[in-house]
Amino acid sequence: MARNEGKIQPHWWSKTFAGIIAGFLLSIGIVGIFAWLGPDGLTQPISEETRLWKTQFNMWVITPIWLTILSFVYLFRTGVQAWCWLGGLATLTIVIVACLRGLL
Amino acid sequence: MKISADILRTYQSVHTWTGITAGLLLFIGFFAGALTMFGSAIDDWATPPDYQLMQVPQGQHDALLRKAFTEHPDTLKNITISFEEGSSPIYWYGRGSARGFSLDDQMWHATLDTQGQLVSELRHVNELSMLIDYLHRSAGIIGEIGHDQAGVYVLGIAAFLYFIALVSGVIFLLPSLVKSFFALRKEKGASRFWLDSHNLVGIASLPFHIIIAITVVVFSFHDLFYDGLSQVYGNKPLFGGDEHHQEVRYDINALPNLSEIQKRVEQYAPGYEIKSINFRGLSGKHPSASVAIVSDDSLMRGPHNDFLFMHPFTLEIDTSSVTNGQGEQGVWGTVVTTFFGLHFGSYGGELGRWLYFIMGLGGAFLFYSGNLIWLEKRRKKQQSAQSKSSKFMANLTVGVCLGSAIGIAGAFALSKWLTLGTWNINVAYMWIYYSLFFAALTGAFTLGAARFSIIGLYVFSALCLIVPLTSLWGLALPNAGIWVPNSLADFGIEAGAIGFALAGMLACKRVKHRVYHGEENSIWYCQKLTSKVSSAHLA
Repeated sequence: MARNEGKIQPHWWSKTFAGIIAGFLLSIGIVGIFAWLGPDGLTQPISEETRLWKTQFNMWVITPIWLTILSFVYLFRTGVQAWCWLGGLATLTIVIVACLRGLL
Repeated sequence: MKISADILRTYQSVHTWTGITAGLLLFIGFFAGALTMFGSAIDDWATPPDYQLMQVPQGQHDALLRKAFTEHPDTLKNITISFEEGSSPIYWYGRGSARGFSLDDQMWHATLDTQGQLVSELRHVNELSMLIDYLHRSAGIIGEIGHDQAGVYVLGIAAFLYFIALVSGVIFLLPSLVKSFFALRKEKGASRFWLDSHNLVGIASLPFHIIIAITVVVFSFHDLFYDGLSQVYGNKPLFGGDEHHQEVRYDINALPNLSEIQKRVEQYAPGYEIKSINFRGLSGKHPSASVAIVSDDSLMRGPHNDFLFMHPFTLEIDTSSVTNGQGEQGVWGTVVTTFFGLHFGSYGGELGRWLYFIMGLGGAFLFYSGNLIWLEKRRKKQQSAQSKSSKFMANLTVGVCLGSAIGIAGAFALSKWLTLGTWNINVAYMWIYYSLFFAALTGAFTLGAARFSIIGLYVFSALCLIVPLTSLWGLALPNAGIWVPNSLADFGIEAGAIGFALAGMLACKRVKHRVYHGEENSIWYCQKLTSKVSSAHLA
């Protein structure tokens, strides 16, 4: 392998957009799985008060996950790699959420 | 710690670009945000002593409330009872509401006179703290999008850049962190000193900054996130439930006494004191009471208090931001309320407020010094002519930072004088802030950053000094309509103004030295304006 290939390429725009768009979808997907399968999940009978706070919690945790993805997206070697990984994982998690929505 | 060179290089670029784009917006947000820590003291200081009507003795609030219901039926829709010393016992909006941002809100204040009759007065809501809070949340960016100010979204985007700047800053600092953390290398020159202090402040208050960045993103974009969540939830409700609430219209005479509400609150949240109760929709099908409760010993969710929501007639508690096992908020409530509390700094009482004040100013310093470091890196050391972009950035940095500080100082300096006129004081605050801000920006671009920084610091200090001078004036001429400080909070504001004036003078002294006697090949250098120089220019 040529030396240059191992190095991180700048690809500022493509990486940034991967972090923003695919990163956002991935965060929603992760939180979605948690919302369905995690404790006090959507299938469990919980009180209105618990739901009020659980939903707020779900909303809040999107941000730290998204910001973390966005911050570390520049570690991908290329923009294409960033898109493939984040886009792939986002698709995977969202498909899982879609299944959960349909099944449960 | 060993990190590969290209990661360091990458994140150095990321840090530079995110920092330079978001820095100035965040400066205003943090400078004003630090001041919001003392919002109620500021309002107390800025309103004439007779602005609030007499508080009634404990136990008379009920009688006052019932009188208000019959004499002003409007109050059934929305009324607040306050138990705070120095506040009118009841008040309700004559125009506007607690939600949204408006400059001409009017509030009815009411109390009982010595004969037990209800007296009420309609007053403009004078809130100097509202101007500060507006700048804190929007950086003064004008315009509205949807139900919020455009600036809120702009600061939300700045918060993204801010978080990335924090992470990238830490990454490329890690290798040298251990050996140079507490080193403030003064002897190695000004640029080294700025860099060291930038790093020190950034690392020392990192957790605070991470919390602020995350919470600001949520405050700005929660609508988007709820939309995303509702997709995930499918046909499950985000809020509410399947059980239907009984819709019952209650007779106002069935409203329990306030002491019963107090008893219920005490039972739910022992150790908390009731600050105020807001009743809404008492004559409608969904009456509600939100009770503001305070405790200095615990983390509070709101900027100034915790909340407890209850049914005013049945005294059934819907939920509360106090998560002590009485309700069913679960661990979720604890986490969410902690996020709020950590942003607002509403824990630890006075000490907590001071700590947040200092960290807020520290944040402002972080962004200002970041820009200075950027400028220093681009300095051409071998020639006196500096690049256009450097000059532009220097002018912008000094203009915006000093401009926002001067604008706020101006509003404080003129606040008491403005109450002598009949105009809407909140509009006047805006005019003062924006004219001073844009005057400063213009000054910075016409005179250049170096010269303007001296003038600007003089102006800033002078405006700060007007605050205590105004009070002295009021003391000397008691009939002039200027009131003198009469509480600890008031004296705190006066002392704060003197403190800012001294800091401004000290900074001015150092800036002068740099500008007139520093290295000549820099944007920060300029000659003294003496008659000799100007005549030489003319010749």
